[in-house]
Amino acid sequence: MSRTRSQNAVIAAGLIASALFIYLALRNVDEHAWRDGWRSATPMPYLLYAAGCYLVGQVVRGARLRLLVPGTSLGLLTASSIVVVGYAANNVLPARLGELVRAAALAERTGIAVTQALTVTLVERVLDGLAILLLLIVASSMLPTQPTWMPGLERVSLAVFGTVLVGLVFAVRWPSAMLRMASRAFGRLSPRWRDPLMHVAANVAMGAAPLRDPSRVVLVAATSVLVWVLEAGMFLFALPAVGLTPHASMAALAMGVTNLGILVPSSPGYVGPFHYFCSQALISQGVPNAIALTYATLVHVTFFVPVTVWGVIAMLFFGVRLGALAALAGDARRARAHGTVGDVVAHVVGTMEARPPRAKATRFDVALVEAFVDSDDPPRDSIDEAATFFAGQMALLPWSLSTLYVIGMSFFRVVVRMRYGRSFCALSAKTRRAVVERCAFGGFEPFRQLFRPVRSTVLLAYYESPAIEPERHSSGRAHRPLPLVGNP
Amino acid sequence: MKHERAQVLVVGSGAGGATTAHELAHAGLDVLVLEEGARHDLSDYGKRSTQAMAAMYRRSGMTPIVGRVPMGYVEGCCVGGSTEINSGFWHRTPPEVLLRWEAQFDLAQASPEDLAPHMAWAEEQLGVTTRGRPWPKSTEVFARGIEAMGWVAQEVPRTAPGCESSNTCATGCAKGHKQGVSRRVLPEAEAAGARVVEGCRVSLVLHRKHRASGVLVERAREDGTRELLRIDADHVFVCAGPSETPSLLRRSGIKQHVGDTLRVHPMLKVVAHFPEPIDAESSVLPLLQVKEFWPDISLGGAFFTAGHVAMTLSDNWIENRAEMRELGHLGTYYVAVKGTGRGHVRPSLFGETSTLRYDLSHDDLRHLSTGLARLATVLLAAGATCVYPSVAGMPALRSRKEAVRWLDDVLPSGALSLSTVHAFSTCPMGEREDRCAASSFGKLHGFENLYINDASMLPDSPGVNPQGSVMAFARRNAMAFRETMR
Repeated sequence: MSRTRSQNAVIAAGLIASALFIYLALRNVDEHAWRDGWRSATPMPYLLYAAGCYLVGQVVRGARLRLLVPGTSLGLLTASSIVVVGYAANNVLPARLGELVRAAALAERTGIAVTQALTVTLVERVLDGLAILLLLIVASSMLPTQPTWMPGLERVSLAVFGTVLVGLVFAVRWPSAMLRMASRAFGRLSPRWRDPLMHVAANVAMGAAPLRDPSRVVLVAATSVLVWVLEAGMFLFALPAVGLTPHASMAALAMGVTNLGILVPSSPGYVGPFHYFCSQALISQGVPNAIALTYATLVHVTFFVPVTVWGVIAMLFFGVRLGALAALAGDARRARAHGTVGDVVAHVVGTMEARPPRAKATRFDVALVEAFVDSDDPPRDSIDEAATFFAGQMALLPWSLSTLYVIGMSFFRVVVRMRYGRSFCALSAKTRRAVVERCAFGGFEPFRQLFRPVRSTVLLAYYESPAIEPERHSSGRAHRPLPLVGNP
Repeated sequence: MKHERAQVLVVGSGAGGATTAHELAHAGLDVLVLEEGARHDLSDYGKRSTQAMAAMYRRSGMTPIVGRVPMGYVEGCCVGGSTEINSGFWHRTPPEVLLRWEAQFDLAQASPEDLAPHMAWAEEQLGVTTRGRPWPKSTEVFARGIEAMGWVAQEVPRTAPGCESSNTCATGCAKGHKQGVSRRVLPEAEAAGARVVEGCRVSLVLHRKHRASGVLVERAREDGTRELLRIDADHVFVCAGPSETPSLLRRSGIKQHVGDTLRVHPMLKVVAHFPEPIDAESSVLPLLQVKEFWPDISLGGAFFTAGHVAMTLSDNWIENRAEMRELGHLGTYYVAVKGTGRGHVRPSLFGETSTLRYDLSHDDLRHLSTGLARLATVLLAAGATCVYPSVAGMPALRSRKEAVRWLDDVLPSGALSLSTVHAFSTCPMGEREDRCAASSFGKLHGFENLYINDASMLPDSPGVNPQGSVMAFARRNAMAFRETMR
């Protein structure tokens, strides 16, 4: 079967599964009752709370991912974005192909092998399954009506996740034994197959390795439970949107059944399975079919939209950079020869605009410098030179710090204007000095931090100025008094 | 003669790049060195700090390390790299460090005996020597304190034979005594046929599967615009320094253990006021280092100018600024710690910079605290009347009783103004593929012809000034590469 045909087959199977579950979800729903259910629904503000809860859950998932790939310096935002990319991809790709996208994103961001990243995903899924199962068991023990299918669901889930867990524990606890077994199993194959399979086995062992640390296992397990408690929170917050009383056990039941149900690979966004399993959970507790389907639809929107938006932004962000580099590398390979660099032929790939000239000092920069250099008659050249240096240096800060500096200084200027009714530059020299001293050396920590690079850069530049040290490069650089700045 | 492709292309001309070029050019290979910064001669050196920063430092010195405690960090960006602007202090890699690297990283053939000939070569090239007494006053008073305390200390050998105390180490030695690699190593490489091209910023290493095919270079044109050029090469050595090497590799899609393990020597400075004139501005920085508390803590003297003193005093400027009247009585000293925290380097999401992050460990903080106590103690024992630490909100230390408090207490991390000039280990080398980016001889794991050969390859903190380690390993690696070419 060609690759395109196999892809089409996957998509077709997903669509058929979706169609089947949509049919199952709708078959006992009265159309009029469903319309009434929609009309009486009050999505706001409940769905906002639900979405917030779900997004916090994604950040906790990011924290868990960081625990599972130690030593890679993965930031929390990046880790959360990788998680969300996987979910968003599942929302737009069929058959849970988002899991592969997520593993690829993790491998790309951290440098670990894709098989290792897939192992990490597998570990997460096993923990997810067990956490859902735990919540489901707790919830079902508190429910007034025990669904007839619940014991069967629990047994099947325990068998599936339990079996995988045993394999995982084996890989974590006895990696050498696992590799030996793999080596024996693959030993008779030709090197063409044996080597890649052994590579996969080694990466599986590496992917599971972080769980050898007991304290990490506890943290990972705790975050897994927290993730699903937060997800149950989403289901809980959505209950009042269709006029149902929020019951934690009912929300946990809906969450558990829905998430186990959507493990079935289907169409993008789990349309069909999500609605069927979610509504069935509520129906088992006596909720009318139409209300249950309305609820399932609203929760699905809450589940689908924010994560897809976040994921698309993250994918664009990652993808644009990768795409730009790939395009550049591609262009480079096709470039024509033109001139030489150090006697080696250079191929021109393109041209870029000139770098911006060094930033010039603004009136505000000069005023700031004057406020630090608190002499009655400071040399004008030194002030101007220090201000120019200061402005140039601040513009060269890395963008994250530069952005913080701009935001902080804007806030400072607004505060000054509100306090004195005039701009910082329009204040008298004495007042400016007092303001700067209060902010740069006072008790308000954010301002102290904001002024930290300002004070050091300004003072360095001012005291390096030749007008302050006229004899600097002359031969006699003996001890001499410098102009006193400030009022000691 | 025009070549279709470089046989060996070296990115960067600092301690690692210059050594690589020297060795390979002398082995008869065709070597092209691409340097982002400019080439300077002695007339450009010895200028004021602000001018030198703009001309010779990466991003004019604005390359801070972010983290819970931000840290000032600078490195060179000119022909010769950081060797042009460092203090010239020289240390051989301590044997216990090499042993640890072998044990933890499976670093092969890196015993003190293996490295000795390469160290000796580098020391001969750079004229490494000690100055001996009489020392400048800022060193003498430090020695006085050390003797009073009975501590182990040494005059650190420097790469500055004939030093005239012009106090321009950090701005380029205008007298030409300090031997940055632009003084002899690079000229000898060029004499052997290497070509060093300045103003070429390598923005991407081009590779396919397991082979690097060349690099993408940005070069400024006369009208200020820049052209992007592809240069093909048989072998590529990335020697762009501890921040730019991982950044370049990661930008190029090479990420396995690249940039994940930044290590630094965090440093806290103090200004000491002595009753007698020290005249530190007219002399070379203090030459002694206290090794009593090594490897966790080292104490020594820092580069001194009025601007740098003001910067160090600026944490408590309102209380301290009167000291600027007494510049001739002041000296600046530091406590540096081994650095056991974790950090990383990433290419910036916007622009062309690198983002460096380092999170101070609790051990770092404790060592800085006890180090400050000991530094203040030794300076007060030397006769200083006052020691001003660069810690916001901390009053000047005027007695040893005040100083020793920090043997037990821990400094408030949010109040510290830290800096460092030693960064390394961002692409550790060793045979352990689960934690190293490159083999024991700098070849990137998974590549046939791509190498690293600068401070980024050191497996972790050497606990001493890293230039000696970098040059010795770079020569050893280059010679190993040469053998494979035969």
